[in-house]
Amino acid sequence: MKLGIQVMVPPYTYQDLDTAIKIAEAALEKGHEVTLFLFADSVICTNKNIKPLRIDRNIPQKLIELMKNNKFQVHICGICMDYRGITTEMIIEGSKPSGLPELANLLYTCDRFVNLMA
Amino acid sequence: MALILVKYGTNHPAEKLKIRSARAEDKVVLVQNGVYWALESLQTPAKVYAIKDDFFARGYSQTDSKVSLITYGEFIDLLEGEKKFIG
Amino acid sequence: MKKLLFVAYQSPVGSIWVNETFRTAFGMYGEDLDPSVLLIDEASVALSKGTKPETIGLLPLSICHKYIKNYGTKVYTIKQHLEKFKVKELDENFKAEIIDEADLADFLHSFDYVIFM
Repeated sequence: MKLGIQVMVPPYTYQDLDTAIKIAEAALEKGHEVTLFLFADSVICTNKNIKPLRIDRNIPQKLIELMKNNKFQVHICGICMDYRGITTEMIIEGSKPSGLPELANLLYTCDRFVNLMA
Repeated sequence: MALILVKYGTNHPAEKLKIRSARAEDKVVLVQNGVYWALESLQTPAKVYAIKDDFFARGYSQTDSKVSLITYGEFIDLLEGEKKFIG
Repeated sequence: MKKLLFVAYQSPVGSIWVNETFRTAFGMYGEDLDPSVLLIDEASVALSKGTKPETIGLLPLSICHKYIKNYGTKVYTIKQHLEKFKVKELDENFKAEIIDEADLADFLHSFDYVIFM
């Protein structure tokens, strides 16, 4: 199946990116296809300059690792990036600046959708 | 019928509405701080599950939960069974 | 055609979520999707004629009005929530349909995806 996951709140402040990654890993393990759509403050997690404490998890790095599986994609709301000063040069390789047309396409084509509300 | 995802605790206005709207044929999954709902018996005809890792990470054990505790793999299985989503 | 319901519950002044809920709904029309918007709890205040975030320098809600008109996007709210937040005069630009909280379960189940913002 094709699974869409949407996240809206910032990484590290809240657990949502961690939840989304765990759901994605479990789905990929079962052979499903996963697209993560990042909306509002969640887009911050694609900034490759993020430098957490060594004992903490590195969320951008986790997304990079997951994208090595070609069944996992990361889409980022472009207007949300602009509002937060995140440029295309700043984002992790493989993630795609997109927008609501891509979210609409994801909602239309996916078999299941999981939303992590704000 | 629908998978209902609850990620906030028992005082949250949206989560109260979601749980009140759940029907017998729905599956309610408690995730993140939504697991605090698992400490009491929920007033719902729906089957309720909580993400085990999120529950244990908050200092609870199996016996504290009034609902079934599940892994993320089991969450995916539930999701496959429900086409509709509320959350 | 999939039926989508975007739900805002946070205040229209002080948070961006009512605006973002409408913006997301309007973004769905490029595909064979049928989006609606439901404003609950504090978000129901958005429907009050007197609610104007722009008076304190925030993004106005009125930018949604022409799209609601052009797309015919259905907007819903809950009777008991309007009462709780003492919303007396509704802004006609939203053309909101008022449902009773007792009918909410049926209402939510009539959509494929209910997406809380």
